[in-house]
Amino acid sequence: MTATSRNRQKKTTFRLLAPGVVWMILFLIAPIMMIVYVSFWTQTTFAINSTLTLDSWKNFFASEAYVGALWTTIRLWLIVLTLTFVIGYPAALYVGLMVKSKTISTVLLVLCVIPFWTSFLIRVLAWRPMLGKEGAINIILQKLGLIQTPIEVLLFSELSVIIGMTQIYVVFMVGPIAFMLGRIDHNIIEAARDLGAGFGRIFWKIIFPLSLPGVVVGAIFVSVMVLGEFATSGALSGRKVNLLGNIIVTQVGSLKWAMASVVGVILTILLGIVVAGFLRIVDLKREI
Amino acid sequence: MESKVLKPILAVYVGLFILFLYGPFIVLGILSFQQGPEGGPQFPIIEWSTYWYKHLFGLTPPSRIAPLPVGEALVRSLTLAFMTMVTATVLGVMAAQAFRKRFRGAGIVFYLIVLGMMVPGVLTGLGTSLLANNVVGVERHWWSTAFLAHVVYTFPFAFLVMLAILNRFDGSVEEASWSLGVSPMTTFRKVTFPLIFPGVLSAMLFAFTLSFDEFPRTLFASGRDQTLPLAIYGTFSVEIHPNIFAFGVMTTLFSFALLAVYGILMGLSVRRAKKMAMQEDIA
Amino acid sequence: MTQRDPIFRLEGVTRRYGNLTALDGIDFVAEDNAYIALLGPSGSGKTSLLRVIAGFETPDAGRIWFQGRDITDLPAHERGIGFVFQNFALFPHLTVFENVAFGLRHGAQALPKDEIAERVKSSIEMVGLAGLEDRSPEQISGGQKQRVALARSLVMQPKLVLLDEPLGALDANLRERMQVELRAIRERLDVTFLHVTGSETEALAMGDKVAVLDAGRIVQYDTPDTIYDGPVVSDVAKFLNRFNLFEGILENGIFTGPFGAVPVTNPRQNKSDTYAIRYDRTQIFDAGDANLPGPALPARFLASEYLGSSIIFLFETEDQKTVEVDHHLSLGEPRPLTVGENYTLSWNPEHAIVFGKETAR
Repeated sequence: MTATSRNRQKKTTFRLLAPGVVWMILFLIAPIMMIVYVSFWTQTTFAINSTLTLDSWKNFFASEAYVGALWTTIRLWLIVLTLTFVIGYPAALYVGLMVKSKTISTVLLVLCVIPFWTSFLIRVLAWRPMLGKEGAINIILQKLGLIQTPIEVLLFSELSVIIGMTQIYVVFMVGPIAFMLGRIDHNIIEAARDLGAGFGRIFWKIIFPLSLPGVVVGAIFVSVMVLGEFATSGALSGRKVNLLGNIIVTQVGSLKWAMASVVGVILTILLGIVVAGFLRIVDLKREI
Repeated sequence: MESKVLKPILAVYVGLFILFLYGPFIVLGILSFQQGPEGGPQFPIIEWSTYWYKHLFGLTPPSRIAPLPVGEALVRSLTLAFMTMVTATVLGVMAAQAFRKRFRGAGIVFYLIVLGMMVPGVLTGLGTSLLANNVVGVERHWWSTAFLAHVVYTFPFAFLVMLAILNRFDGSVEEASWSLGVSPMTTFRKVTFPLIFPGVLSAMLFAFTLSFDEFPRTLFASGRDQTLPLAIYGTFSVEIHPNIFAFGVMTTLFSFALLAVYGILMGLSVRRAKKMAMQEDIA
Repeated sequence: MTQRDPIFRLEGVTRRYGNLTALDGIDFVAEDNAYIALLGPSGSGKTSLLRVIAGFETPDAGRIWFQGRDITDLPAHERGIGFVFQNFALFPHLTVFENVAFGLRHGAQALPKDEIAERVKSSIEMVGLAGLEDRSPEQISGGQKQRVALARSLVMQPKLVLLDEPLGALDANLRERMQVELRAIRERLDVTFLHVTGSETEALAMGDKVAVLDAGRIVQYDTPDTIYDGPVVSDVAKFLNRFNLFEGILENGIFTGPFGAVPVTNPRQNKSDTYAIRYDRTQIFDAGDANLPGPALPARFLASEYLGSSIIFLFETEDQKTVEVDHHLSLGEPRPLTVGENYTLSWNPEHAIVFGKETAR
């Protein structure tokens, strides 16, 4: 009998949500569906038509360059993910757990975030004078007498891409981990210490498990961004490193929409597997 | 006991970590003061000068190095970021407002919105341009297709910010307003909105900066006319000069100015409250 | 008391949260121009009931009538029912004046500026806040906030104002003063107050009528003295905090409890067999005294508590149950008692109220 007021509320909710939902369906879901659809279109030299075919898919798997890009993407992703975790975790441990003062920990986190107010591309570009043959690192190492001739492999190599990506994305790993560590009740650690547990034991039995949801969230952030990358590899590898993203860019540049779409679908599947895999490790809904 | 050793080690480590984050930018800043126009984008500094800053603003005599095509790009980027900011914030506030009541399908809608920030730009960019180019058959522009993609990207951020704000919002003032015979619409304008304004400001800041710096989506979804990040990207393939470094410093300063404006606006609303409290102490 | 027309009426109002039933088919008729106290322990659904009447929540079943009109499907802002919140819910970004003027300014009908100013002014004066118009809510005290909330609501000239534990956030002193003032303000205006409270003293002191809510049902609705003298079920007696309650067995008109077996008349239908005697009707005798007015309950004296106009004596029975005796000082000095000594408690059986699963006959 009170359906009227229920309906009224439903209507309000609907009106508030409709614009956003429609926007996302039209300009997010439809475009992604479109990628899947176009990946089966027929590509001629300069045009594309909607006759369905598997040609582009066959071409992808027949090409050493394309399949190579897939492996490069996976390899780079694994390396950068590992590095952001290994480099980021100790920093998060200090910021989130070791620092007792709330102010200092906030200041440190803000310090980590400030670089994000510089253009992403400028931050990538900033590695060039750093890593180059006459770059800052080579100069410093030479001055210190550690090397005689400049290390050339620093720039325009896979290494420079890895260094660049790690620096840009490591903060996305630090943030969530520090957040989870900050929520740990210090009494638990004190209690464990009173029971005679050493730091190693406390870390592996208490601290690390409690920070795991943060690691997973950080890993998802880093994975999504690294897998979709093309600018860093473009700018720092001198076209030596081709990721799936780079293939998409060059294919679109030469109007090969069907092939770009195939790569897009493969990238989507890869992302789906990775994210679903991480969500398996930790039930985020329960943890947060 | 181990933590007595561990803590200082980690403190030093964090210092190095921050150096790692800032190092390249410091180098970039130093090199932006390289002598010009002969000085290259590398050490050593031949002579300190502000040549490349002047070059940026077209204040140097013409040389073989073309000035960066940033003037129009900057205007476009600002316009696009502003459009995106307004749209994303409006959508974000509306959606977050809806989420204050439980409804069926809330989970799906939540993930649909959040997906916008999770899907890599290269995919949304590709999809949007496919849709525009091959299905709808419209030309791509920074103010049309790129704008749509920018909102897809920034709307989730605005939504999450507003969701966090509204979660802490005490709804009894709204109920008080209704009980005074004021319609929900007017209540939102006169009560809710003024009270959540600091949150709206944060959502706007998020949307603006993300859109201003957005690159992969714009690369695919905009047409001939470049936005600022596209202009910078354009210099990647050619030989770079310290003018791009000077430009980097300038954009960073601009970002900080924006941040300062945000801080001042935030501070004003906080200070007004403090001032009132102080008057009470005097009275 | 003269017969009053009903101001609002509830018909089988039910509200569930998941599988928790907050309101369980409430039927209720409230008189016009009255002060009604709605008394209930926490979790009895009293706030839910208020929110349903106000229109903040929708009942799952049942109908609500207000001034002869079915308002069940009307949104809150079209009901014309005032609401005063426990946390005051003042608009923090507006001055006291603007808070009070809010409904007049932004409501359905546009009023001329000077009429708004006039009504706001007289409303603020009525609650005694003249001179504070330009303060912001954070610059005034809790009691003043409460008055602003009241003025804000009354300026709309509602026929019904719902008050959700309005004194709950105030300290004891202020609470007593506001009790008197709330009653006085209501009497001056032609309005019904429905005042929700968890405090039995507040309810009995303030209400022309008191409705007792328990587990989502109104178990008793009567004048304060009727409720005080004759709670209809043992839960009401327990909640009033004025009765010694004894569990026992009622069979064939005989109640067997810690004081032995006593014959009872007219037991009230209840879910358990309970014998109730008011604190101030319980009397103290020496152990072994044969000259008792009624049943004999042996008990050990624990302590006494001086309350100004009366003294409370605490006893412990053999089965470790605390029994209270309230001795009003107008009845003369109490007899001296020794802590730890055994005494006999007794009472006039006519003053006892007996609740039982079996009813009379």
